[in-house]
Amino acid sequence: MPLDHRRLRGPEESQPPELWAAGTGAVPEKEEEEDAAPQDPCALRPLFARAGLLSQAEGSAYVELGGGTKVLCAAWGPREAAEPGAAAAAAAAGGGRLLCEFYRAPFAGRGARRRPGSAAERDAEREAAAALREALEPAVRLARYPRARLAVSALLLQDGGSALAAAISAAALALADAGVEMYDLVVGCALCRLPGPAAAWMLQPGEPEERRAVARLTVALLPALNQVSAVLGGGQGSPPDDWAQALRLGLDGCHRLYPVLRQSLLRASRRRDATAAAATTTTA
Amino acid sequence: RRRFPRLRTVEPLEYYRRFLKENCRPDGRELGEFRATTVNIGSITTADGSALVKLGNTTVICGVKAELAAPAVDAANKGYIVPNVELPSLCSTRFRSGPPGEEAQAASQFIADVIENSQIIAKEDLCVANGKLAWVLYCDIICLDYDGNILDASAFALLAALKNVQLPSVTINEETGLSEVNLKQKNPLIIRKHPVATSFAIFDDTLLIVDPTAEEEDLATGTVTIVTDDEGRLCSVHKPGGSPLTGAKLQDCITRAVTRHKEVKKLIDKVIKSIKPK
Repeated sequence: MPLDHRRLRGPEESQPPELWAAGTGAVPEKEEEEDAAPQDPCALRPLFARAGLLSQAEGSAYVELGGGTKVLCAAWGPREAAEPGAAAAAAAAGGGRLLCEFYRAPFAGRGARRRPGSAAERDAEREAAAALREALEPAVRLARYPRARLAVSALLLQDGGSALAAAISAAALALADAGVEMYDLVVGCALCRLPGPAAAWMLQPGEPEERRAVARLTVALLPALNQVSAVLGGGQGSPPDDWAQALRLGLDGCHRLYPVLRQSLLRASRRRDATAAAATTTTA
Repeated sequence: RRRFPRLRTVEPLEYYRRFLKENCRPDGRELGEFRATTVNIGSITTADGSALVKLGNTTVICGVKAELAAPAVDAANKGYIVPNVELPSLCSTRFRSGPPGEEAQAASQFIADVIENSQIIAKEDLCVANGKLAWVLYCDIICLDYDGNILDASAFALLAALKNVQLPSVTINEETGLSEVNLKQKNPLIIRKHPVATSFAIFDDTLLIVDPTAEEEDLATGTVTIVTDDEGRLCSVHKPGGSPLTGAKLQDCITRAVTRHKEVKKLIDKVIKSIKPK
């Protein structure tokens, strides 16, 4: 691995302690799996969303899925496009650009610490950022911001499964909180199918389920308009009906999550109005 | 209190001077007053120890992950502590995405110095088997919201996260020579010292204000950070250039830092005690 001169160096190689826990650790894991098996595949994990919590970003949102996925997202409204030239051609086509970033904290995953700055990490982040952009672009009224760029930055603090879906929801909330004009909020929902002949699709898998899954799917929906903005996923092949059923299950999940996100946005704007009113009364 | 919004944008220094003349600051604080400090421990369950610290708006999260590695050849009985401060583009528009910039690198080095100078953890305690196996503590400190005084918040988050770390016990099997980890039996880290950082911004070469916000840091002519230890002992002074300080002023800083140490220690103890029943 090439030396990263900008970060402090530790040992060249290190392994997580779980690797050596073979003897004693394996048994409790199996018990965990058996407990988790009888789980309602249509059950949604409790979702906590809060918008407007960062002071330095124009819009921000924090989404937490019960069981441990934590995503923080910040968004900035229209700013002048940074590079002329190459971007001019794209800008001439009308509309602004949406730039997305996705960071995974080094301590976000169970097991080995991800080394920040490594090539594998950067590739994964780039992929996730592209997926985020794909899901958000249809919802933002880019035509209203010609030659401008809107920035979204998502940070995954803890990965407990369904991370991309949570990031999509958080990013849409942050954009709305920043006052960017949008057609609708984007709600993300993840599904996965566990190995086994009669396995059904499961909504919002946790981290152990995602690891064992043979097929994964993330859907992004604009609920009020009932339009799908992105379908991302893949895995073991199965008849098209199976995937269609999974899609329907995912969209249903998105519809159910929508009110929670709307509520958090309403509460954030009320809070903002309250602080603005308090500030004006002190100046008066 | 009148706000003068136009003066604040057009002539921020003049705006600040008006407040400093009255011995206070625009956000209502006195010159020696810290912002409201909160700490939350153990929220990241994928990390071996974690802490979230808020100093006013400045929010910093520290996650510690413990891994095993072979000790270095020239320090066969020592483990490693590797700090890494990240200032992502999320925390402020002044930072661009990509590899760590100057400020992040300087902050990482500062934290490494605090660890080294204060001996917060003896690296010998991290050794499992001399020359064969030792613990590596990766301390990743990520700023979520940047409103000044990143050093104090990072040092505090690091201390709180390390106090939260539980390491599984490792034994070397005598017969096979292989290591065996028992994930069910966990022990807390031995924290030997509790270093606390207190930062000041220097205004107009003379005035010292504690816990500067980002706006105050931009207007300052210099900064100084004092790191104190338990029992009111001075651990290190970090003064990267900027306005020169008289000995008397430095002494004032040290005195304020010692008081701050007591406040922070009390806060950490309270939080640790509240999560004790496990």
